[in-house]
Amino acid sequence: MRLARAYIRGLWDGRMILGYTLLLSLTLFIVAPFLMIALRSVGKGWFGRLWLPPQLTLDWYRWAVEVGNIPEVMKNTLIIGIIATAISTVIGIFAGWAFGRRQMPGKEVAMAIVLLPRMIPPITYALGVAKIFYTLELVDTYLGVALAHVSVCAPYAILVLSATFEGLDERVLEAADVCGANTVKRFFYVVLPLIMPGILASMIFTFTHSYNEFTLTLLTYGPHTVTLPVRTYLAVGDGYWEITSAMAVIMVVPSLVILAMIQRRAEPEKLVGGFKGV
Amino acid sequence: MTDAMIEFRDVSKRYGSLVANDHLSLTIRRGELMTLLGPSGCGKTTALRCLTGYIRPDEGRIFIDGKDVTDVPTHQRELGMVFQNFALFPHLTVRDNVGFPLMIRNLPKDQRTKMAADALRLVRLEGFESHYPRQLSGGQQQRVGLARALVYRPKVLLLDEPLSNLDAKLREEMRFEIKELVTRLGITAVYVTHDQAEALALSDRVAIMHRGRLEQVGTPEEIYEQPQSRFVAEFIGLSNFLEGRIEAVDGASMRVTVGDLRLTAPALPHTGPGQRVLLFVRPNEIELLGPDEPAGENVFEAQVEKATYLGDSMDYRLTFGQGLALRVQGDAQRRLSPGAPVRLRLPRIRCWAITAG
Repeated sequence: MRLARAYIRGLWDGRMILGYTLLLSLTLFIVAPFLMIALRSVGKGWFGRLWLPPQLTLDWYRWAVEVGNIPEVMKNTLIIGIIATAISTVIGIFAGWAFGRRQMPGKEVAMAIVLLPRMIPPITYALGVAKIFYTLELVDTYLGVALAHVSVCAPYAILVLSATFEGLDERVLEAADVCGANTVKRFFYVVLPLIMPGILASMIFTFTHSYNEFTLTLLTYGPHTVTLPVRTYLAVGDGYWEITSAMAVIMVVPSLVILAMIQRRAEPEKLVGGFKGV
Repeated sequence: MTDAMIEFRDVSKRYGSLVANDHLSLTIRRGELMTLLGPSGCGKTTALRCLTGYIRPDEGRIFIDGKDVTDVPTHQRELGMVFQNFALFPHLTVRDNVGFPLMIRNLPKDQRTKMAADALRLVRLEGFESHYPRQLSGGQQQRVGLARALVYRPKVLLLDEPLSNLDAKLREEMRFEIKELVTRLGITAVYVTHDQAEALALSDRVAIMHRGRLEQVGTPEEIYEQPQSRFVAEFIGLSNFLEGRIEAVDGASMRVTVGDLRLTAPALPHTGPGQRVLLFVRPNEIELLGPDEPAGENVFEAQVEKATYLGDSMDYRLTFGQGLALRVQGDAQRRLSPGAPVRLRLPRIRCWAITAG
């Protein structure tokens, strides 16, 4: 009993150390796989039970670019991402307005249907999409792959923009009307600037999602529309682990750039609201 | 050119079984400051929103400057409006907020800047042009709102409880500022509030609303001194009601029996003996007499039931006659304690009577 108490006390006294240890473990847990990949992408002759590669090289990156055709693949990925983001954002703005500002019957049901592609297993959904797209000859086109992505990206956009529109102050819109603005002018001079943070957030979400999307791409891509995740996966199949690692590292770079952008921008509430006395 | 700037003609608006405006007919004259006064849910906001075009009335027509605007969309009605929550554009600077109605009307930029500066001078807010609304205090934000509403000299200025988000001291300051501005510009203004003190201090005329209907329309003096219904009397702060019956009418005055007491009050037109009436007397208009003063017209023996010290005055609840009670404001110098006998006089001209059903 006394021992147990002493033990607990010891833990309590050392709680800072304990806390940091846990934090460190967690960090390692998240970072370790990435470190592994990064190391392997520059290591040469790294076999067996060595902890560190004996030699460093950038050869794998050259291989990835030349053999893996990464520039082309990156171009595909970005184009598809941009198309998917554009379509999702436009859908999101219209649907978000309806969900956020209009009273309509069956709103919850409609929202559930919108979210359905996100709820069911992607492979199930992807199989259906693939069948339809083969029939429509949309497979292996930028638009086709992007459209497949839209089915999972648009729900994000709709969710984010619904919340944005809901947060718009009705009275501010009324003020614009009274000031003489018709619907079009009101949209461009008042609504659009006010929902801009929401649109940006939604675009970042959808682009990242399309960029990372694997399952839906796998069933709709073709020789001309290979994307980074699929290319990396194919390289795994070919058995070149080092090249695969190099591709994986290349794939992460844009994600990090976007993360940095989010960190910089952040605090969208500084743009909207923050009124005194309201 | 008619004298009427705004006219509600038999306007009704229902929400399901709730009647927000019940056959509302009201004319607001050119250059007048009219207040719609009433408790929340009385339909004053609905009436205002019918005027802005945000709500379309179920029945009736609305005219602004002689033109039927019932079917004219909000943005073509040429109104200026000040909102309770200010409703400034958070993404625009003060200058651009005030210049917004001008930008919408495609005025050239230099003219816009000049007019915005003029409007800001009008509300004494020079030097804040480059600030954003969130950097201003509540009072300053509302001045921006006022400048934005006035900048293009609209025919009509609407004010929707503009002061209720401000603290008490600022409220009184702004009250006089708004009144002064509206008078100086000679603009027609409709002011919506639930604060009767605000309404009396600001308005040329007050329209008191209750359950979607107009209870009484008149100058602040008329509303305050000659309320036409119990609701109006209660709403503007009258708290003493005596129910009685006319006994005799004698020229300009009449005798009324209240319980076992007889009162003299100014005569009520178109009434005769037997008519049931309601008498109002304000707590501060009842006189408390010394115990040795002679009896006379409307002088009664009473007893102090409750006494509350209010600093500059005393607030008494007095009982007299058969179960009658009055609130009376007395001099703080002369304190009466509960149970003390007292003599009170209800000055004849201060007894305001209306017919009761």
